[in-house]
Amino acid sequence: MTWSEYLWFAIPAMICWLAAAALIYKVKKQIIIDILMIAGIAIFAAFIVGLWIGQERPPLRTMGETRLWYSFFLSTIGFLTYKHWKYKWLLSFSGVIACVFVCVNIFKPEIHSTNLMPALQSYWFVPHVTVYILSYAMLGAATIAAFIQLTKIKKGSPDEELYKFMDNIVYVGFGFLILGMLMGAVWAKEAWGHYWSWDPKETWAFITSAAYLIYIHMRLQNNHQKFTVWMLPIAFVLLMITWIGVNYLPAAQGSIHVYS
Amino acid sequence: MEDNKRKMWQFPWRYKESIALVGGIIVIGFILQLTVGKFNFFLLSSPVNLIVGAAIILFLIAFSFKRKNVFYQWFSGVPFSVTLITAMLLLALILGLTPQLIKTNPHDNDIFTQLGFRQVTSSWSFVLVYFLTLLSLGSLIARRLVAFKKKDYAFYMNHIGLWILLFAAGLGSADMKRYVMHVYEGEVEWRVFSDNEDVLELPIAIQLNDFYMEEYPPKLAVINRESGTPQPEAKPEYVQIDEKRPHGNIDQWDITLEKYIHDAVRNSDSTYQEVHMPGASPAALVKATNKTTGEMSTGWVCCGNTAQLYMTLNLDSTFCVVMTQPEPKRFVSDIDVFTEDGKEEKAILEVNKPLKIDNWVIYQYGYDNQAGKMSNYSSMELVYDPWIYPVYLGIILLAIGSICLLWSGNKKTKKENDLE
Ligand code: HEM
Repeated sequence: MTWSEYLWFAIPAMICWLAAAALIYKVKKQIIIDILMIAGIAIFAAFIVGLWIGQERPPLRTMGETRLWYSFFLSTIGFLTYKHWKYKWLLSFSGVIACVFVCVNIFKPEIHSTNLMPALQSYWFVPHVTVYILSYAMLGAATIAAFIQLTKIKKGSPDEELYKFMDNIVYVGFGFLILGMLMGAVWAKEAWGHYWSWDPKETWAFITSAAYLIYIHMRLQNNHQKFTVWMLPIAFVLLMITWIGVNYLPAAQGSIHVYS
Repeated sequence: MEDNKRKMWQFPWRYKESIALVGGIIVIGFILQLTVGKFNFFLLSSPVNLIVGAAIILFLIAFSFKRKNVFYQWFSGVPFSVTLITAMLLLALILGLTPQLIKTNPHDNDIFTQLGFRQVTSSWSFVLVYFLTLLSLGSLIARRLVAFKKKDYAFYMNHIGLWILLFAAGLGSADMKRYVMHVYEGEVEWRVFSDNEDVLELPIAIQLNDFYMEEYPPKLAVINRESGTPQPEAKPEYVQIDEKRPHGNIDQWDITLEKYIHDAVRNSDSTYQEVHMPGASPAALVKATNKTTGEMSTGWVCCGNTAQLYMTLNLDSTFCVVMTQPEPKRFVSDIDVFTEDGKEEKAILEVNKPLKIDNWVIYQYGYDNQAGKMSNYSSMELVYDPWIYPVYLGIILLAIGSICLLWSGNKKTKKENDLE
């Protein structure tokens, strides 16, 4: 199989995922959603396997090939997490983002030539980045919940159910964040000889996780509620700096993580 | 708030006392910094770190007999750990916001430098807070291990994993050695350069049989012939050379790739032909059409290298098409490694594919950037890091802990008020 057959798999897979993402709010029968998601994932996986056999090497080299894995992992992990946690928006979100990556491969296929620098050519690249995308999505959701909770605290009646949601989603998001960081550390050891060098991106990843740790631990006790809930928006700002802002900081000149 | 009913420093301690204490430790760090200078990690090199490590563990075990004590409860409790994590966060903010220096200039006398903020990770405050975190987290683990509960597996994985990681990373950093070795093609080398540019001899020798490099096809750009600035000046555009997609445009020109030769050598009539030899360079036959005037130019462009001149295609009196330098796709050293005890190993070294031999790991590091793929030497980094095994153990435990978090989320029911 080669890239010329891509559309035959990409479009059916997207139809399945988008249908699941939309129908989940409409239909009562859970099995329909499951079948759609699994069918989409299976169709997409079939293409990856086919390409792997066709090219006689694992499709991990070009940007386009990398995006195949993003779509695959986002839909799979999104589906599994949904099955476990029953958050409908999570399934819709990961389905839509998976489709975005599928579409990028259709409309801007850098499938032949890529200028991926040697350090990025590693099997850690894909899991490292996908896990972070998932983590950002969940911590983003937690931030929105935090603002709602803050208004409720102001009125003097924090919502216990909302707290439960916030805590769960922070735990899940933080779990992914740490996994992403650990994979990054192992990768750095393989590529640069050290697992942690306080490079600006690493430093900011540390800052972000410290902020979430403060939330997690302060929630173990019920004191200083307002401060605790405020930690989520603050941590999310730090997360955004880690993700997007680092490249613009004066401290980042000469960082190995700034790819221009 | 409960805190108000209680005088400061009256047990049980909470945030006020924690903040005062950690603040005090940071101030002590500043004083040490001002009097003895930065923390010298080499003081910790083996066997000192082994002794310090053993002392920490013995202390934690002895201290755990006092676990019913209010001081112990506070030391291993939430307010103190949150304060420590916050202190780490603040120090890391300085690290993340200001450029850090590998070597400070001895003539920099401003207070910012004096307090160690230009090398946060080797400042006393940072080291002391790190150390305190290790002790606090350690005593928490001891307290919870004594009251072992199977259902707390996620807690154990996360905290023990992180503790091992912090312990090994901190103490091990003094034993880590990293050297760069430059080996010329066909030669054997055993001398390396340290960070201070000192030359040292290692118990490992490397023979470089061959160094080669694959490059991506370069990009095309339009530049101002006089100033050399790429166009359009506000946001330069480039056309990636790709034989499967030969059309592109830059500013007001349509660019068409007529022919591309990755290994090209110039003929006497300024055309190019394919020759596979070290001095070859990418070259392309390009057609450029001005979208407004319809003016068309066709010709060869070449980015050149140390063996060949570059070639540009003039569009008019102001602009021309040029080719950028190709970017490396892959660079590889074919090496033989010899150790003192007579071991010999062959390897193909490249980025992300290091070689492990005895306690050393050899990494592809660099090459002669000027010469690019014609580089006649390869630089390799040799890393000795005996503490990497406990570090990996910590990473694995922490990873399992994270997966537990993913899976079980926050199941614990909380006490309404935990001041008891
Ligand atoms: C990756 C890092 C960490 C994660 C994921 C994490 C997660 C958690 C979780 C989920 C709990 C509640 C679970 C339970 O009580 O059974 C907890 C409790 C706690 N953690 Fe952490 N933590 C981390 C790092 C730290 C650090 C660095 C410290 C201290 C400096 C710390 C100190 C504590 C304390 C004091 C408790 C309360 C437990 C008690 O008092 O029995 N944690 N942590």
